[in-house]
Amino acid sequence: MLEIKDLRVSYGQDIILNRIDLEVEAGETLAIVGESGTGKTTLGLSIMRLVEGTVQGTIRFNGKDLLELPDREMQRIRWKQIAMVFQNVNNVLNPVYTVLNQVMEPIIEHGLKSREEAQDRATELLNYFGLPQNRFSAYPHQLSSGEQQRALIAMALANDPELLILDEPLSSLDAATRAEVRELLKKTGKDRTSLVFTHDLDTASKLADRIAVLYGGKIMEMGRCQDVLSRPRHPYTRALIRAYPNMTTVKDLQGIKGRMSRPVSGCPFHPRCTQVIDVCGRETPQLLSGQGRCIACHRGGIITLLSTNDLTKSFGSRKVVDSVNLYIEAGETLALVGQSGSGKTTLAKTIMGIYQTTQGAVYLEDVKVNIRGKDFYKKVQMIFQNPGESLSHRLSVLEAVMEPLDVQGIGTKEEREHKAMRVLGEAELPQTSDFLNKYPHQLSSGEIQRAAIARAMVLDPELLIADEPTTFLDASVQAKILKLLLNLQEQRGLSMLFITHDIAAARKVSDRIAVMLDGKIIEEGAASEVVTAPKQAYTKSLLKAASALHVMEPEFHSSQHV
Amino acid sequence: MHIDLKKEIKESGPGKTGLTILLVMIVVALLAPVLAHYDPYQQSAWSLLPPSLSHWLGMNHVGQDIWSRLVFGARTSLLVGFGVGILSTLLGTIFGVSAALIGGLYEKVVMRIVDAFIIIPMVIIIILVAAYIRPSILTLILLLSLLSWQGGARIMRAQALSLKERGHVSAARSFGAHHFYIAWRHIVPDLGPILLVDFIYSVRRAVFMEAGLAFLGITDPTVVSWGMMMRDALSFSYLNVWQWWLVPTGIALSLTIVGLTFIGHAAEPVIEPRLRGTEIA
Repeated sequence: MLEIKDLRVSYGQDIILNRIDLEVEAGETLAIVGESGTGKTTLGLSIMRLVEGTVQGTIRFNGKDLLELPDREMQRIRWKQIAMVFQNVNNVLNPVYTVLNQVMEPIIEHGLKSREEAQDRATELLNYFGLPQNRFSAYPHQLSSGEQQRALIAMALANDPELLILDEPLSSLDAATRAEVRELLKKTGKDRTSLVFTHDLDTASKLADRIAVLYGGKIMEMGRCQDVLSRPRHPYTRALIRAYPNMTTVKDLQGIKGRMSRPVSGCPFHPRCTQVIDVCGRETPQLLSGQGRCIACHRGGIITLLSTNDLTKSFGSRKVVDSVNLYIEAGETLALVGQSGSGKTTLAKTIMGIYQTTQGAVYLEDVKVNIRGKDFYKKVQMIFQNPGESLSHRLSVLEAVMEPLDVQGIGTKEEREHKAMRVLGEAELPQTSDFLNKYPHQLSSGEIQRAAIARAMVLDPELLIADEPTTFLDASVQAKILKLLLNLQEQRGLSMLFITHDIAAARKVSDRIAVMLDGKIIEEGAASEVVTAPKQAYTKSLLKAASALHVMEPEFHSSQHV
Repeated sequence: MHIDLKKEIKESGPGKTGLTILLVMIVVALLAPVLAHYDPYQQSAWSLLPPSLSHWLGMNHVGQDIWSRLVFGARTSLLVGFGVGILSTLLGTIFGVSAALIGGLYEKVVMRIVDAFIIIPMVIIIILVAAYIRPSILTLILLLSLLSWQGGARIMRAQALSLKERGHVSAARSFGAHHFYIAWRHIVPDLGPILLVDFIYSVRRAVFMEAGLAFLGITDPTVVSWGMMMRDALSFSYLNVWQWWLVPTGIALSLTIVGLTFIGHAAEPVIEPRLRGTEIA
């Protein structure tokens, strides 16, 4: 029904939309999500042909190319067949008309009905969208933003258009009103083709069948709403979901590094992406479809950084790690949870090559790791369980943090020092010469852990294996260390294998959780799912044993009052 | 591993005594040309003279000044001792640490060689070999070193095996470090005190061996040595020359060995802390 091909919109030098390809079928709702400034509104306005910039490409609506139509014909289509609910900013409604008159206006304009009929229709619509009767003759400035939004929706629906474009339809509403209006929209939009432009993932997920993620004027990922939101495959989509406060995700909110810019060449997201390679900065990726999903990424979406295939480690006849299959995607955190003795540390050390693999294999970026040379260790680093022991007592803080660079033979001594200072800064440690010359036994446990983190970060690894990084720390220091790790992930796109016995800590930092028992992975899934709907009895018992502050425990209250 | 070897030795009475003796011996050896009034090799017509003001310990059977020979003999003893100490400790460390780090077949081969050498009575081999090649000082040092590093290697390996499981060693490996780097930066520094104990015992053994071999007359006869002096003196034991010829030499040798033993004994708790016994409590 609506088919957009190779749409390019620019204002002067600024390219706002860059080669957009979209198809919307009749009766379908497509949500287009993205941060502000990504070109959502421009796309909506282009379809309405209200955009002021240079527009190239084709927008076919029922077979007609809207961009080729003469103005008069376009005017007939506009508001009659295609209507738009504008983003509610103050000057959208005309201040000198009453609300009712404004809703009537498009009906009369198109000469479809008599004035009385138009008034009836407008009244009906305003009623439907819950504007109180006594507000009908009010002027826009006398209405609350919620009421204005209802009026705008009513106005767009006045001529019963085939295609409804909604630009941030619910953003100005509070949560309760939003739910109400959303339900109404859902009802009217049931058989209507609609395009929803929003930055709000909740609105998108509740209104739309499909979702397209827009960034920097380009569609990054498109697919069925549920699929995309539950398992995003483009780094940007994932980052967007991580930054979005909601009741499903259990991980702490994470921003996206950097600011939105429109780079001259390459993928628009590459300056902020977690898995950039050379080509990302040179060429714009094509939106390619496959497995019910369209993705514009040179790397085919989020890559699997490290995976294990039936990895087994035995000591004598005892299998401490038993046929473990795990994967860690670029930029994500996988928490490995289990009680002590379940083989977590052995698994980590086997991945690191500190223990010889008994069976199975480790794959780094889908290439089997046979010999772990400096290349491997440059990409994969580990924070050891006992940070105090993992720092040599003979090395000062600076020497210890520089050590990986010494081993790898990177840079001159000054460069190494410089780099060590920088990671110490990132780990929020002082860089005074007094501190740099301290030895591990002179540091607090929090400082030691930070130094160990700094040392692991100095090689700019892509994967960090953190073995119980907070076990020896107080809650307050633990919180800071976890925040630090999350920040590093946000800033550097670091992937993490977070090993812990504490499922409560794991849920705050991880995207996925794998539960380990007696050397085997018994359950694995999105952190929110594992925490809220565990499948295995052992996981349930872990959750039950996890720390909780039962301040409002109902049983507690009832037993007190009976 | 924060064991202060200096403190360990200084705080024990025998340790202090041993150190004093060794220091005196070293000073004597270093200042030999000053302390000796005569060339120790210079022969003269005045043989078997009793001590006098000009010849403090008299003259030997070929008219050489015994005092001068005693002083220069310290040089030989200590040179062989320290030479062997350094070399055999070095070999022991190299083989012990590398066996521990590399493991596998290499470790098995090295350790079986060590076992073999430890079983074979070293003294007999040295006597046989020395009798055959009549070693100069340098060859003697090499020979003794080659036959005496094995005990040290065992200790180093055991210690390195335990050290290599430490967190900072695993960490270094996780940066991509190779065996040599790990040995040099992480293992050997922590072996320090043990290296010293091993070194002291090697020195002691070498001093003793050198004297023994010289006494048997199978070392380089052109180099003055306490063992050789005792042998020469013994053949004139029917005269009273032994009083100023045999006794001072024997005392010098014994003192050196006792001194080294004292130091080693004082430092031994480093290897085996249980030897501290009740001193801690």
